[in-house]
Amino acid sequence: MSKTSPIARWCPLLAAVLLGLILAATALSAPSAKLNAKFIPERLGGRTTLEFAFSFTVPPSELVPPPLTQIELRYPDRLGLGLSGLGLATCAAGTLEVSGPTRCPPNSVMGYGAALTAVVLGTTIVSESAPITMLRTPDQKGHLAVLFSAEGTTPVDTRIVFPGLLLPAPSPFGGQVNVGVPLVPTLPGAPYISVVRLHATIGPRMVTYYEQAGGKTLAYQPLGILLPKGCPRGGFPFAARFHFLGGTVAAARAAIACPRRR
Amino acid sequence: MAVGLALAALFAGAIPVTTGSARATVSPSRAHASRQLKASDTAHLHYTSASGSLLYEEGLASGTIPGSMHVHFNVGATFTGTFTIYTKGGSIKGHGAATPHGSGVYESFAGSLHATGGTGLYVHAHGRAGLYGTFNRNTYGLLVQTTGTLLY
Repeated sequence: MSKTSPIARWCPLLAAVLLGLILAATALSAPSAKLNAKFIPERLGGRTTLEFAFSFTVPPSELVPPPLTQIELRYPDRLGLGLSGLGLATCAAGTLEVSGPTRCPPNSVMGYGAALTAVVLGTTIVSESAPITMLRTPDQKGHLAVLFSAEGTTPVDTRIVFPGLLLPAPSPFGGQVNVGVPLVPTLPGAPYISVVRLHATIGPRMVTYYEQAGGKTLAYQPLGILLPKGCPRGGFPFAARFHFLGGTVAAARAAIACPRRR
Repeated sequence: MAVGLALAALFAGAIPVTTGSARATVSPSRAHASRQLKASDTAHLHYTSASGSLLYEEGLASGTIPGSMHVHFNVGATFTGTFTIYTKGGSIKGHGAATPHGSGVYESFAGSLHATGGTGLYVHAHGRAGLYGTFNRNTYGLLVQTTGTLLY
């Protein structure tokens, strides 16, 4: 008969308890996410601009959310993004990084937005609003790709460019945009920048395109995302997962309610 | 006899058939599918109506299996859809899927389509074909090319 030492018997239990404590601590420090979405205007069968926003709330022990590393945003099935007339031109990542969105073709712009970022310097939270431009870029890995350009000035003067890929998603979603968010350093020894909230629009709102006709350049507004003629039960569903540095994940859902019948 | 592959054109809305080499042989492997047709077709489809990402298109297919095509397809992260092609000998129906790539006004795509049945001469139609084409993001017009084998 073999005799197991008390330490050997207690080790698995201790490991399980420690793992539980670690997971509980991680859950306690993980931010919670809120997602909002809206069609402007919301007319079934009509053209629209999609406005979406997300924000994070941190537990009392934290001042700001951990740095964001990845976003997965799922959008409703039958949303006519591909018929929107947006992204008729492309902008290369190199052009965007060196010269900014103003040097990209106007017909590559798909939308605008802004992100509120924050960094803890000592015990002070320093916030900054960074405008965002979304532009179509050549496909990556066989998937439709969008570039996000965010520019900050104070306290961190930087321009970051990061790609988003349009991927298939299971029902009731029509697809999902996977965005890899780069870590943005601040001061030596200080943490990376955190995203506190973000709002953006994809659609013709505030977007001007140009076309050649009869030797002239004509400005026009893209048609916009085509909404289906029917509304899904429960509204148009959206879902997002946010990945943070350190491995924590926050999820959120939202639905755009069906318009009232007239 | 040449009424099988125009079905591919129907999938994308406007499929033009580029080449047309038809060959009919007897295939004893299936009780109903006694004929085999190798075909290449092209169709040009035009926009008829849309709802969200769903497009309904119609047009003419030419090549091995000429006819009139009707296509419903979903312009999503991947292109998926169903088609029916109406020929002199009957209709052929099926479905297809393709991955879009490229960018700009013209978006190309590549994938495959499957014939799953039909009417008349093609009531037992089945087969698989390569599916290629371009989608005009301004006019929603489709140019579709298919190459494959139809059993019926």
